[in-house]
Amino acid sequence: MENNYIIELKNVSKIFDDDTIAVDNFNLYVRKGEFITFLGPSGCGKSTTLRMIAGFEFPSKGEILLNGRDISNLPPNKRPINMVFQRYALFPHLDVYDNIAFGLRLKRIPVPKKDKEGNLVLKIDHKKIRELKREYSLIKRNRHLEEDVKEAKLNEIEKKIEQIKSTPTQSYSYTKLSNKEIDKKVARALKIVDLEALEDRDISTLSGGQQQRVAIARAIVNEPEILLLDEPLGALDLKMRKDMQLELKEMHQKLGITFIYVTHDQEEALTMSDTIVVMKDGVIQQIGTPKMIYDEPKNAFVADFIGESNIYNGTMIADKKVRFLDYNFVCLDDYPLNEKVDVVVRPEDIHFVKEEKAMIKGVIANKIFKGMNYQYTIMIGKTEVMVKSTASYEVGSTANLSINPDGIHIMKKDFTTNVYTDAWVNKNNEVMIDDKPFACEITQLVPDSTLDEDGNVVSKDGKHKYNFNDADVVAEIALDKIDVIDNIDSEECEAIGEIVDSIYVGDHYRYILRTENEEDFVFVSPYSYNLNDKLGISVKKEDIKLRLKKEVNEYEI
Amino acid sequence: MRFRFQRKYLCIPYFLFLILFVIIPIFFIVFYAFTDGSGQFSFDSVVEFFTTTNKINVLIQSLLFSTLNTIICLLLGYPVAYILASSKLKSSYVIVLLFVMPMWINFVLRTGATRDVLTWIGINGGTNPYLATMIGLVYNYLPFVILPLYTTMLKLDKSQIEAAIDLGCNRVQVFTKSIVPQTIPGVVAAAQMVFMPTMSSYVIPETLSEGKIVLFGNSIYLGFANNQWNSSSFMAVIMLLIIGITMLITRNFTEKDNSKEETKW
Repeated sequence: MENNYIIELKNVSKIFDDDTIAVDNFNLYVRKGEFITFLGPSGCGKSTTLRMIAGFEFPSKGEILLNGRDISNLPPNKRPINMVFQRYALFPHLDVYDNIAFGLRLKRIPVPKKDKEGNLVLKIDHKKIRELKREYSLIKRNRHLEEDVKEAKLNEIEKKIEQIKSTPTQSYSYTKLSNKEIDKKVARALKIVDLEALEDRDISTLSGGQQQRVAIARAIVNEPEILLLDEPLGALDLKMRKDMQLELKEMHQKLGITFIYVTHDQEEALTMSDTIVVMKDGVIQQIGTPKMIYDEPKNAFVADFIGESNIYNGTMIADKKVRFLDYNFVCLDDYPLNEKVDVVVRPEDIHFVKEEKAMIKGVIANKIFKGMNYQYTIMIGKTEVMVKSTASYEVGSTANLSINPDGIHIMKKDFTTNVYTDAWVNKNNEVMIDDKPFACEITQLVPDSTLDEDGNVVSKDGKHKYNFNDADVVAEIALDKIDVIDNIDSEECEAIGEIVDSIYVGDHYRYILRTENEEDFVFVSPYSYNLNDKLGISVKKEDIKLRLKKEVNEYEI
Repeated sequence: MRFRFQRKYLCIPYFLFLILFVIIPIFFIVFYAFTDGSGQFSFDSVVEFFTTTNKINVLIQSLLFSTLNTIICLLLGYPVAYILASSKLKSSYVIVLLFVMPMWINFVLRTGATRDVLTWIGINGGTNPYLATMIGLVYNYLPFVILPLYTTMLKLDKSQIEAAIDLGCNRVQVFTKSIVPQTIPGVVAAAQMVFMPTMSSYVIPETLSEGKIVLFGNSIYLGFANNQWNSSSFMAVIMLLIIGITMLITRNFTEKDNSKEETKW
């Protein structure tokens, strides 16, 4: 073992039978004794990853190494890993003691076989061959694996089998743990989880918190190398959860085994973990210590998911200067000039200041007492700003705000589409982006609908009618769907702006066109334009994707 | 006084029904069991029953048939229910229905047909009365086993099974240590549905063994047919007692498990 990693996941992917990709190219190295948390919204693949480590799912691609040995296709009962289940999964027909002793009673300890003269008995290990054959058929059936990789793996197993068949090895007989040993181990586990007095109780007579402890004891009594916890605190009430968080952390330090924890609760993750893995759609977004992830989120998703945050579209306007909320802020991050960026500001990093020091001014629209402090929603023009402060201000009064440079986190924006979050639909069923009408297909808001002569959207069965005049929508336009019109006087132009940025990316350019109202359109083009060129753009009707901000039935007539 | 309808009046028909068809008949059975022909209180039938070896033999034979039938039905039905409940087939319920469908056919007709089929394949009731009766009993009561087992197995807690594997169970151990304990309520319900009706079954042994095998039910019927009202009534009382005892024993199981279910959810 050349490194200190207890478990390594290398390029692990899981593709289910219905071709949904649950986990995509997952790479993770866990050090011995670490408390690592998989964090993400439901359906992000965190539980699937955990189940692959446990052995309930086998990876479609990639390898899982335990202490450097490939265990990808080993069944759960052959892994020195135990799991605490979401709903505890205790055995209701057994009492506390028997639940905890369950694993110990199944355990068999190998004792080297000796013949009458005391020589070690050598035999061909048929058990190992059976295991390898099982693995062989498992790999053979895996249709997600590339042919050459599959071939190589199968060959390797075949070689192993041949080798085992030809070389007899030490054979073992297996003995059970004695009742005394089991007693001792159960007592110790009960002590760790603080349940000494309850060993004879029926599972059904225990409270949720106590059942939780039994579940943990049942897992740790087997002395696993890794303890997996699948949202173990999800079913407990808030106070209980907070207590258990601290206790789990303590247990982790006492036991010294590696914990892999799955949760969707960011607070839980921040409190307990040494390392957090933030996941979304089966892809790792960021790996880091809780502090790193909170202070330096890698992208807008992480920032939004971990803690509360204000996220804005910003533009770099000078060296270490970013413009958002109609103000030029000094920041610490360095990005190329005119780059469109995501700006994240934590609510506690925005401060109320005296009027003359204010960078931005807004009106307090909402105030909520949160115990420790007040949470304000402040409207600056049409944009909301969330601020936390211990000082009390009246709703409706003017807020003078300032943000220190270290409170502004700037993240590179992913350029895949132009997203306009404050678009709306006008009475001609055109979408207003940057106060300019763009022709669009309004019927996409209701599946299979048609437009009648009055401009109302009629559903497929004709029962529902909608009028989307004034509806707030999010409009999306892909970068390559924006057509450039050189003649800005042409009637085809839907918006006119100036090129403020151009980057050559491989075989085409990526431009940012800024309109008079400071709205940006990012587009790609094979042709070369110069900075400050005035250009018109137009977008085909079918290329504007719309999404309602409110429920569709609010627009029913 | 004007009649005012109250909700409690709704239960009057049920009360009448219970009195007419349950309380009064049981009263008569007990009355006949402990009286002689002239209506005087006596233990004659009790003494007669326990001194007639023939009747004791019938009781023991019935108990044996019931037990064996219960065991065979469980052994056959358990795997079927497990396979159906755990199969990913959407049509598994249709297969369950196929197993249950014979129940929809008239009982006497079905038993007659069974006899003909058995004779046709060479298991004649006259020559193989025990085998023919046993086959008939199993065939008739198998659906009663599959249905309750199938419903309990649909509710199997997958995470408990996974927990068992995680703690080191191999396939056989998962079955014995997690699946079987979880399905005990279903097994008990199934056993109840087979054991007690087999005791009192009448048509099946009568038809399939061509009258060669007499179970408790046949014996009671014969008694009443021969106007032995008192001794037959006592046999009916014995039957009631046996059913009551089995109910008491099995109730302990199901109650325990139900209470656990409730706290779990």
